[in-house]
Formats: sequence, structure tokens, C-alpha cells
Amino acid sequence: MNTMTDLTHLLAQTGFPDSMGSATLAHYLFVSAAMFAIGLIGFVSRRNLIIMFLCTELMFQAAGIALIAFGRFHLDFTGQTFVIFVLTVAAAEAAMALALVVLLFRRKESLDAGEWAELKG
Amino acid sequence: MGDLNGLLSTVGAGSVDAAGGGAGPWWAVLVPLLPLLSAVLCGVCAAAKVKSKLPAWITVGCLAGSFVTAVMMFMSIQGHGALTTTAFEWINFNWTAPGGEAQSFIANFGLRLDNLTGLWMLFVTGLATLIALYASEYMSHDVGKGYSRFFFAFSLFVFAMACLVMADNLILLYLGWEGVGLCSYLLIGYFYTKPSAVAAAKKAFIVNRIGDLFLALGIMLCYVHFGSVEYAVIFEKTAPYLAMLQEGRIGDIPALVQLIPALLMIGAFGKSAQLPLYVWLPDAMEGPTPVSALIHAATMVTAGVFLIARTYPLFLVSEYALPVVAWIGALTALLAATIGMAQFDIKRIMAYSTVSQLGYMFCGLAVLSATGGVFHVVTHAFFKALLFLCCGAVMHGFAGQLDLRKLSGVMSMKGWGIVGVGMLVGCLNLAGFPFTAGYFSKDMILAESFVTPGMAPIGWILLLTAGLTAYYTFRVFFRVFVGPQHAEPGEEFHAEDPAHGADVAEEEHFAEEARHAHGHSARGHDGHPHGDHAHGNHGHFHPHAPGWAINTVLAILAVGSLLAAGLYFMGDHGGFVGSKLHGTTAEIVTTAEGHTAAAYLGNEPHAGEHSFLGLGDPHKVMYYVSAVVGFIGIAIAAVLHGPKGLGGLMLGSRTEAARSKADNLLPAMGPIAKWAQHKWYVDEFYDLVIYRPLRGISHVFRLIDQFVVDGFVALAGWLPRAIGRSVRPLQNGELHGYAVGMAGGIAVLLLIVLLAVS
Amino acid sequence: MLSSLVLIPLIGAAALIGAPAARARTIALLTTFIALAAAIVAGVRFDWADGATFQFATPGFEWLGELGIRLSMGVDSVAMLLVLLTALLGPICVAASFTAINERLKTYYGWLLVLQAAMTGVFVSRDLIFFYICFEFTLVPMYILISLYGSTNRKKAATRFFLYTFTGSVIALAGLVYVAWHAARATGAWTFDIATLEQYAAGLPASTQAVVLLALLLGFAVKVPLFPVHTWLPLAHTEAPTAGSVVLAGVLLKLGTYGIYRFVLPFTPAAVNEYAQLIAVLCIIGILYGGLICWVQKDVKKLVAYSSVAHLGFCVLGLFALNNIGVTGSILYMINHGLSTGALFLLIGMIYERYHTRSMDELGGLGKRMPIWTTFMVFFAMASVGLPGLNGFVSEIMCLVGAFQASSAWGSGIWGSLGVETPLATPGNLGPWYAAVAGIGMIIAAMYLLYMVGNVCFGPLKEPGGHGHGDHGHGGHGHDDHAKDAAHGPLPRDLNAREIAVLAPLAVLCIALGVYPSPVIQTLQAPVSRTVQIVEAASMPTTARTDTQTNPQTNTNSDTQTVDVVAEAAR
Repeated sequence: MNTMTDLTHLLAQTGFPDSMGSATLAHYLFVSAAMFAIGLIGFVSRRNLIIMFLCTELMFQAAGIALIAFGRFHLDFTGQTFVIFVLTVAAAEAAMALALVVLLFRRKESLDAGEWAELKG
Repeated sequence: MGDLNGLLSTVGAGSVDAAGGGAGPWWAVLVPLLPLLSAVLCGVCAAAKVKSKLPAWITVGCLAGSFVTAVMMFMSIQGHGALTTTAFEWINFNWTAPGGEAQSFIANFGLRLDNLTGLWMLFVTGLATLIALYASEYMSHDVGKGYSRFFFAFSLFVFAMACLVMADNLILLYLGWEGVGLCSYLLIGYFYTKPSAVAAAKKAFIVNRIGDLFLALGIMLCYVHFGSVEYAVIFEKTAPYLAMLQEGRIGDIPALVQLIPALLMIGAFGKSAQLPLYVWLPDAMEGPTPVSALIHAATMVTAGVFLIARTYPLFLVSEYALPVVAWIGALTALLAATIGMAQFDIKRIMAYSTVSQLGYMFCGLAVLSATGGVFHVVTHAFFKALLFLCCGAVMHGFAGQLDLRKLSGVMSMKGWGIVGVGMLVGCLNLAGFPFTAGYFSKDMILAESFVTPGMAPIGWILLLTAGLTAYYTFRVFFRVFVGPQHAEPGEEFHAEDPAHGADVAEEEHFAEEARHAHGHSARGHDGHPHGDHAHGNHGHFHPHAPGWAINTVLAILAVGSLLAAGLYFMGDHGGFVGSKLHGTTAEIVTTAEGHTAAAYLGNEPHAGEHSFLGLGDPHKVMYYVSAVVGFIGIAIAAVLHGPKGLGGLMLGSRTEAARSKADNLLPAMGPIAKWAQHKWYVDEFYDLVIYRPLRGISHVFRLIDQFVVDGFVALAGWLPRAIGRSVRPLQNGELHGYAVGMAGGIAVLLLIVLLAVS
Repeated sequence: MLSSLVLIPLIGAAALIGAPAARARTIALLTTFIALAAAIVAGVRFDWADGATFQFATPGFEWLGELGIRLSMGVDSVAMLLVLLTALLGPICVAASFTAINERLKTYYGWLLVLQAAMTGVFVSRDLIFFYICFEFTLVPMYILISLYGSTNRKKAATRFFLYTFTGSVIALAGLVYVAWHAARATGAWTFDIATLEQYAAGLPASTQAVVLLALLLGFAVKVPLFPVHTWLPLAHTEAPTAGSVVLAGVLLKLGTYGIYRFVLPFTPAAVNEYAQLIAVLCIIGILYGGLICWVQKDVKKLVAYSSVAHLGFCVLGLFALNNIGVTGSILYMINHGLSTGALFLLIGMIYERYHTRSMDELGGLGKRMPIWTTFMVFFAMASVGLPGLNGFVSEIMCLVGAFQASSAWGSGIWGSLGVETPLATPGNLGPWYAAVAGIGMIIAAMYLLYMVGNVCFGPLKEPGGHGHGDHGHGGHGHDDHAKDAAHGPLPRDLNAREIAVLAPLAVLCIALGVYPSPVIQTLQAPVSRTVQIVEAASMPTTARTDTQTNPQTNTNSDTQTVDVVAEAAR
């Protein structure tokens, strides 16, 4: 756990503007990291295509939270602008991905990702 | 030494001559060009499928024209030294070397006209004309088939031979040298459906090529050392060496110059069938007999002798060249004679006799009797051509029969008189019977061997060989031409063509073709033109006596051979040949004090001091000695092989064709006779030591190429593929696999970053 | 002028796309004839007396200006001769394929024409990149010709051919670009002009040259092919269609030797002097090894293919003799080998069309069946053996003489100990031993070619079952019956007029170049002398030739001077 304490130590060293109240950047980043980890674990462990897709969305939003938190911390709005873009793209992408999942389901009558391994070398 | 003297200080003058002064007559180019024209016309005949004897008449006409031109050329060059006629530039270029000096490589299609050339061309074109006439009849079974092809190659041969002899540079000589080799190849393999003929042709070409390689290297060395391949330049630059020789400063002659004759010599041994490269010539008898007579007896095989005669100055300045030539020549003469004694095929006997006589010629050159050597070339050309043509007439008439055990009393058969007389004349010449041309030419060589310092062993070997020669020559004559009449036809009826085994009709077809190909089919000989070539039944065999063309040619050659003896008495220096060679490169470079050949410089006895067994000057004694040796040989042949009777002249007792007294002697000789009959197993030896290992190595190379060299390439191609295959399982196509991989990768990267930061 | 030589076949190929397949032969033949006519016109207008100058020079349009790449053209007498050879083989290849190729005609002839354009491009280019593009582009048509129209093992052969030669030439490209990069670094401007680079490269330090030599040689030696990298050749030759083999032997192999002549010798003269012996040894191994392998082949085509390894050994040996006679002989060899070996492949193709086999186990004694074919076979075999009077001899003997006289050993070692004056010994690192050992190749050549001729043409008749025996039952009715009945398709038993017309020009040239090679040799002297001088100058500092002044321009440390030269040339 040495690494982990190092990380909190590192985050604690960074200062926080007052307007953030009691919530520090570290809190946001922890939320983001947790979300990302949940998404990642879900993506790796689940075989249902829709769940896996939701997990990727989760990771997406985790990254978004981190971006907004940093943007606010640095008082630079590029991060937030970026997140807005990501949201729109993610919406479009979600529509596409769901459509693809439906098509894949029609092919094999199953949502199991293991059914699709045609890139096997 | 009378006839050999007087050429001393001509070293200088001679080389001025040799350098070649003026331009020769332009029409001298007709000597080679007329045969070439004939070859082209015969080629046209072949393409046009001419079904008459036209090619033969074209050839005879053109060759006769060439002969007449050669005679005119010979007359016109008298008293001119060496002339040069350049037809056109063949390989001729010059450039500026990096050092700045101008360099050149000149090998024109130029003719060097001097007496050596003239002499050679006289008998080459003359004999070629006669033999072409002979062949017009001899090859008549092939009219419309191989007839044009035969005369094409025949004419081409004369062209190549003319290039060889008349060339004014070594490269053109090389062209002729290989050209005659090609024609020899084509003509030996004339009966191309016969595997033995094809093999013999191949052997001749390849063995010759071995010699050719050394000749080529010798030419290159000449070029590098003398800066030219033209005789004129070479002789001019050899003159200082000859001068050094005369002054006894032999150590000043660069040693590299001595390498040149050593290389040229091997080339000469290849072409002239000397040890160790003689094996091709006996096999070459697979060709039609006119070819054997012209190419493999009279002309082409003397090319080696010509080469040495032509480049004689180079041999003179070498310390070792001439003795080596002498020993090779003598040993070849002896070896071939012993083989010839034990053979039964009369054509092969003549072939070995040719090898043996060529050995004499080399010895003649090597013991400083260039006159004798060249004179022997001329006389041998006539009588050996005569002998071959007589054998050919027998072969032609008896359906290919050549076995001396199966023929007897041919001379007394109707229509065979001229052949018999011709054969007798030839045999007398070859045996060195007194007052024949062969007698004089052989004598010159023998006598000079005993005169030249250190060469006496050569003389003894040659003398012994002379006896053996007389024996085997008359063995043939007594067995085949006199005695009770008997003749079995040869194997010409056998159609040995494996391809037709399956089908009778096809066999018929092929058999007929094969008979044509063999050239001496039964058709016309036995009065059954079609089909009657059954095997074995020859009860009513009638030999086919030669026609007018063959008889005319034989008569001319027989008379010519006899008259050739007269050449010995013409002129001042060693007869006609000697006086003509005077002033050419082949002249005997002697001084009043003795010989000036580097090889014999150390121990030169004074003229007249040497004597033969205390009997006196070898030049005189040898007349009697060689005559006696010849008589002994003939007498032994008469006893062992001669027929009974014939007016009490004959000492022999042979009453049937197949057996003679010699057969009773065979057991006493143990295995020697058998070994000699098997040619001392030289062919087998070469096969075992050279051919098979080489073939084996080639197979090994083939496998190496396939598996090792190509194996590395295959390995190089296989390696990336193998690496790819080994990492292939990683690409399992499972989404989760990739996800885990990605996550793991990120984790590892993060760890690295963090560790690096802290 | 020159661009038309490249464009005519390309236009012909384009015309083929739209044409009906039945017309493909006519169009292809017409195109190649026009190209031949154009080449002959160029040959007539070429000033042969001034062989060293690059004539008909066109700067070409600028292709990639920043890198100084232009499609510039020009030919000296060496290139002109090879262009003529290429143009001559064009119609011959087309005409030889009339009956052999019966499907996908448009593709076949189209690619054949493209191939011709690419080969011509190699010889006329004066820009390194242009050269390389053409050099590499020959692979594509050849790959297609082999893989679509070859015999049984064609796919493997085509792939092997492509990958092998491609790998080699990529390395050669690296070497060439390395030289250009050096030049660019020194002058500040990129150029790929061959003449400019040539002047620059000769001044590179010897160690750099050695690297360049290695790279170039790897590329060109594969193409030639020299001994250890030759194994693609027998395979490709054996599997290729007849015309493919002819082009392969006739021109494609010459791209390698031409590359060595054009780039290796002038670009890396110092290294060439240093490594000539090594390369010569490879050549000699190729001569003997390749020759002996020929001697035990059963497949006639493979035999001739391996003979190319042996023959090209002589060719490269002559080049690395580094003197006039050797290099001239070598260039002559390129042409002569194209003529005689090309003809041998044509002849074998004609047999294959009739009997569908090339094995000597199944063929024999064809002299009886096919006298005309046999006549040509013996003729070209003799040309290949190097019989004097025919073309092969002149070049072979010149290569050997070149190797023989090129010896710094003259005057030292065994030759020196003989205390000899050798006015015509030239510097260079080969010598008599090289010529003598290589000369054994002449004997081996006679052995394998006569072995082939003896087996296929002579001896008892042997034909594969089912061919030529269609009418046994009739018995002895002459030959015409066989021709009509047998399953030979439209071909008569012996050669027809078209086939004779294909062979005859080659035969005529073989005789002409054998009997009267002087004009060709003389025109080659100027360019060869130039090359030889470059190489010789580079050897000056190392060889002990104190009597001659070293050439200041090519001194090893004359970078500044060469830079000036380059800058001047660039202006």
C-alpha cells in the first residue's frame, strides 16, 4: 500500500481554493478513480454486451469527472468544454453502440461477448 | 648435319623475316573463304532438302579451288619471307590505360603467309579435295539425308583448319583450333543415333577443351608478356632472347617466358592426341571413314605439331620445353604402338598408329629436327590418309566389317586390286620400308635424336617403336589383304535403336532409318534394297567393290605417297620441306658450333663427334639401322600372320582367316596381351579417377544447393513466420482478453511512471 | 527520343486494356515492333564514336523538387546497346508466346509490355530514384507472368523470386540513398543525379565506401545472381513461361551486372579495389559450382538456368578485373548471354509445347524428329559454350584475359620471382590464377552443354508416352503423319516458320557479334576507359605505383574539392 499512501500524500500537498468548501480535489479524483475502477472491473468480469457497454460509459464519465475537477482546480475551462463535447459524442456513440448490440444479438440470439471471437489469430 | 647447318646467324635475319614485312596477295583469303562458301552452300542444300549429290560436287569444286589458290599462294610467296594479308578487323581495339599509355588488343582476321603456312595448306587442301571426292561415293547411302550435313561440316572443317594454319595471330589460331574441334565433334557424331558415336564425339570435344584451356592461358601469357597476340610482334620480341641464347646468356632469359611453351604444349598435346590426352582419338573412329582419314589422321591432329612449329622460337628459348615434348612424344609413340599391336579393329589400329606417329612428329620437333617433324607430317598425311581410305573402302564394301579376324585375302577379290595395292603402299610407308617417303621422314627424326645431346634414349624408344610399327602394320596387311579369301559382313544390319522396341511396324520404320544413319546399309550391297536385313544369315554375301571415285582417289594417293619420297632429294636444306622451312619460324636454329636451343645448351658436343654405337655419323648409319629394324618387324608379322604360299615369298602358314600363329603365342605372354588389348586400361583409369569423382562431386553440389544454400534462404523465410506463429495465441479474439491486456498494460505503465517519479 | 522508348510499350499496354482479347497478340506484336523500330532509329542517330557521352539527354520534368528527383534520361554506348537488346527481345518474346499462352491474353501481353517499358527505363534513366523505380517495377510484371502463366510450382517460384530480389534491392536502395545523403549533407541540396553523385561518391572515405559497396552488392548480386544468393534463379527460370525465361535471362539478370557497372564501380572505387578478390572468388565458385550442378540436371530448363549462374560468373569476373579488356568483355557478355541463353530458353520452350516435358529421362534423339530444331540447338549450345567465331567466345576470352592481366601480383610473388617484364599487366587484384581456375569453367561448360545436346538431340529416339506415337500402326510412312495425328495441337513436329523467324535474328546476331565484334568493342572503349580510370585512380594511394602521379581530384581526403565539383555540377 505504499504506493497508495504516496498518492494521497501527493494529493494532500496540493492546495484547494476556498470556494470548493470541504470537498477537495482529492475527493473528486477519488470518485473518478473509483468509478473508473468499477467500470473497468465490470467490463472485464461481465460477459453481457449491454453491461459491458454500460461499464465503458461509466469509465467515460469517470474521466469526465476528473477533467471537470482539474478544470475547476486550475480555473481553466478547457476541461469543462471538453467534457461537454465528450457528452455529445458519447450520446451519439451510445446510440450507435446499442444499435450494434441489437444487431449482434439478432445474429446469435445471445448477448454473450464470448460468442464473438472472429479476430482469433 | 649438312642439311641442318647454315641457319646460324639467321636468328636475326630469320626474325626479320618472321616479323612479316609486306602485304600478301589479297586473293590468299580465298583459301579459307572458298571452303566457307562451300559450307554455306551445303547448309543451303540441307535447308532446301536437296536429294542429289550436289553438296558433294559443291564441296569438291570449292576445295579444289581452294587447293589451286593455295598452290598459287605458295608460288607467289617464294622469296618474300612472311607476308600478311588482313581480311578484316576481328577483335581490334585500343584504349588509353589509366597510366596514360596507349594499349591495344589486336586479333585481326589476318593471314600470315610463309612457307610453313603454305606447305601445310598445300596438303590440307589437296587431301581435303581428294577425300571429299572419295566421300561423295562413300556417303552415297545418305544422299538426301545426312549428305548435306556431312559436307557442310567437312567444308567448315577445311575453313577452320585454314584459319588455324594461316592465322597471323594466336587468337585466330584459337578460332581455327576450336573450329576444327567443333567440326570433329559434328563429324564423329555424324551417326547420331548411335550412342557410342555421340559419346565419342562428346569425349573428343571435352578432352580437346582441356588442352584448349591451356592453350588459351598460354595465349594470355603471351599477350601479357609480349603485349600482343600477333606472331609478328611476338617473334620480334623473342629475337633478343634468341640472341641471348646464342651468346650463352641463358640466365638472362626471363623465366616466365618458359611458362609460355609449357602451356602451349599442353594445348598441342590435346589436339594432337598425346599423353595424357590421347584417349579421344581412338574413339573418334566412330565417325565416317573419310572423316577419320582427313581429320583424325592427316590434318587436324597435326595442328599440335603445327602450333609448336609455328611458335618454335618460344620453345627454343625454354630450358625444359623441348625435352618434355620429346619424352611425351616418345612415350606416346611407344604406348600407342603397343596398344595398336593388340587390337583387332583395323580402323582402331590405324588410329593408334596415328597417335604413335604423332609422337614421332613431336619428337622430331623436340630434337631440333623441325624439318624431320614437318616432313613426317606431310608424308604421314598422305600415307595415313591412304591407309584410312583403304580401310574405309573395306568397311564400305563389307558392310562395316573391320575385324581383321573376319576378313582375309581381300586383295585377290575381284575389283579390290587398287585397294590392295594402295594398302600395300601405305603399309610400306608406315613401316618405314626403304626408299619410301615414310622411311626418309622417320630417318631424319631418328638420326637427329641420336645427335641431339641427351636425347639418345628418345632415339632408342623411337627405334623400338619403328619395329613395332612395322609389325602391326603388316599384321593388318597379311591378315586382311592376302591369304585365303574369306569375308563375313559386318554388323551394319543391326538396327540398334531401343526406341522402337514396342512396336513392330515402328521398328521397321526405325530400322530403315538406322540403316541410313549408319551410312553403310545393306541396300545396294547385297542386292536386296528393302527389308532383307535379317540378322545372321549371310550365306550369299557379296562384297561391294569400290567405284570409280574411291579407286581414283586411292590411286592418286598411292602414287602421291610414293612420289613424296622424292621431296627428300629436292632442295638444299633437308630436302624440299627443309629448304622451304628455311626462313620460317620453324627453321632449325643451329650454329656451326652446335645447337642453340636452351635445353641443349649445357652439353653440346661438336658436330661430327657423335656416332651411333661407334658405327659412325647417325645421319648415315640410321638409313641402314632403321631399314633393318623395319625388316625385322615385317618379317615377324609375316611369320605370325602371313598366309601360306604366295610363291614361297611368304614365311607364314596361315590357312584360315581367323587363326594365325600369333594366337599360339598369346598364352606365353600372360596377361600382357590382354592388357594391351584393353588399351592398358587407361580409359577405365580416367573413368575411375576423374569422371566418377567429378560426377559424384556434382551430385553433392546439387544436393548442397538444394538443401544447404537454398536451406539458408528457406530458413530466412521461415524465421519470421515461426516468430509470428509463436505469439499467435495472444490474439485469441476474446474481447475480455484484450480488455485485460489493456488494463494490465496501463497498470504496468502507471507503475513505471510512479516509480520513476518517486 | 528516349522517353518514347519507354512510353511506346506503355501505350501499347494501355491499348490492350480496351482491345478484344483476340487482337491482343497483334497489338502486342505491333507495339514491340514499333518499339524496336524506335530503338533502331535511336541506335542509328546515336553517335557511336562518342560512346562515353550520355546522348539524347533530357533533364526530364521535376518530380520531387525538394529532393532533386527528376525523370532525367540519357544513354551512353553501354546503355544504348542494352536498350537495343531489350527492344530486340520484345517482339521475339511476343512471337514466341503465340501458341504457348492461350488464356488471359490481355493480361499476359499487357504485363509483358509493361515489363519492357520498365527494363528500358532502367537503362535510360540518369536519376537514381527513377532508376530504382524502374528497377523495382520489373518485379511486378515478372511476378505476374510467373505466378499466372508458369508451370506447376509457379506460385512458390514467383513468391521466392519477388521476395528474394526485392529484399536485395531494398538494401541496394539504402546504399544509394546513403550516398545521396552524404552528398546532400556536404552540398546542402538534395540531388539524385547519377553523374553528380558519381563525382561525389568517389571521394568518400574508404570505410564508408565499403559499407556502400556491401549494400549495393547485396542488391545487385541477388539480381545477377552471384554464388550464394542464386537459388531463386533456377526455380524462377524453370517455372516461368518461355517468354518470361527469355526476358529473365536476356535482360533482367543484366540489370544486376549493369547496376554493378553503373553504380558499384564508380561509386565505390576504393572499396572495389579492396574487395575485388573476394567478389572474384564468389564468381569463380559460381562458375565451377553452377557448371557442375548443370552437369547432373535432368530437367533441361533447369540446366540452362544453372548455366546462367556460371555464365554470369564470368561476366562479373570481367567487371572486377577492373581493366579495359575485362570490363569491355563483361559488357559484351551481358549482350551475348542475352542472345544465346535467351535462344536456348526459346528452344526448350518449343520442345515443352510439343512434349509437355523437359526431362531428359523422357526426351532423347530428337535430331531425328526435329532436324531444324536440332540445328538451332547445336548452334546456340555452341554459342553458349564459347566457340570462337560465335559471340560467346569474344566476351568470354576478354573476361578471362582481363582477369589474367589484372594483377598487382605481376612483379611480385610467384610471378615476380620469375623476373618478368609484363608490359600489359594492369593493376587490379585478380591475376593469372583467377583466370586459370575460372577457365576450367570453359571445360565444364562444354561438358554440360554437350551432355544436354547429346541426350536431347542425339542418341536413340526417346519421346514421352502419348506424344508423337499416334500412328504406330501405319509404320514407316514418313514423318508428316505423326505431325498431323499426334496431340501436339496446332504445332507441326519440327519448327514452323514463326518459330524459325523467332530464332533466326538471334542466330544472325550471334554470328555477327562473333565474327565482327570490333565496332561494338571500339564504341565501348570510351565509357569503359572512364570507369576504369575512376577505379584505377582510387587504387593509387594503396598500390605501389610510384611512377605515376596520383590524381589530385580523387585523392581520399579531397572532400572540399569534390564538394566544389558537386556544387558546380548542380548549378
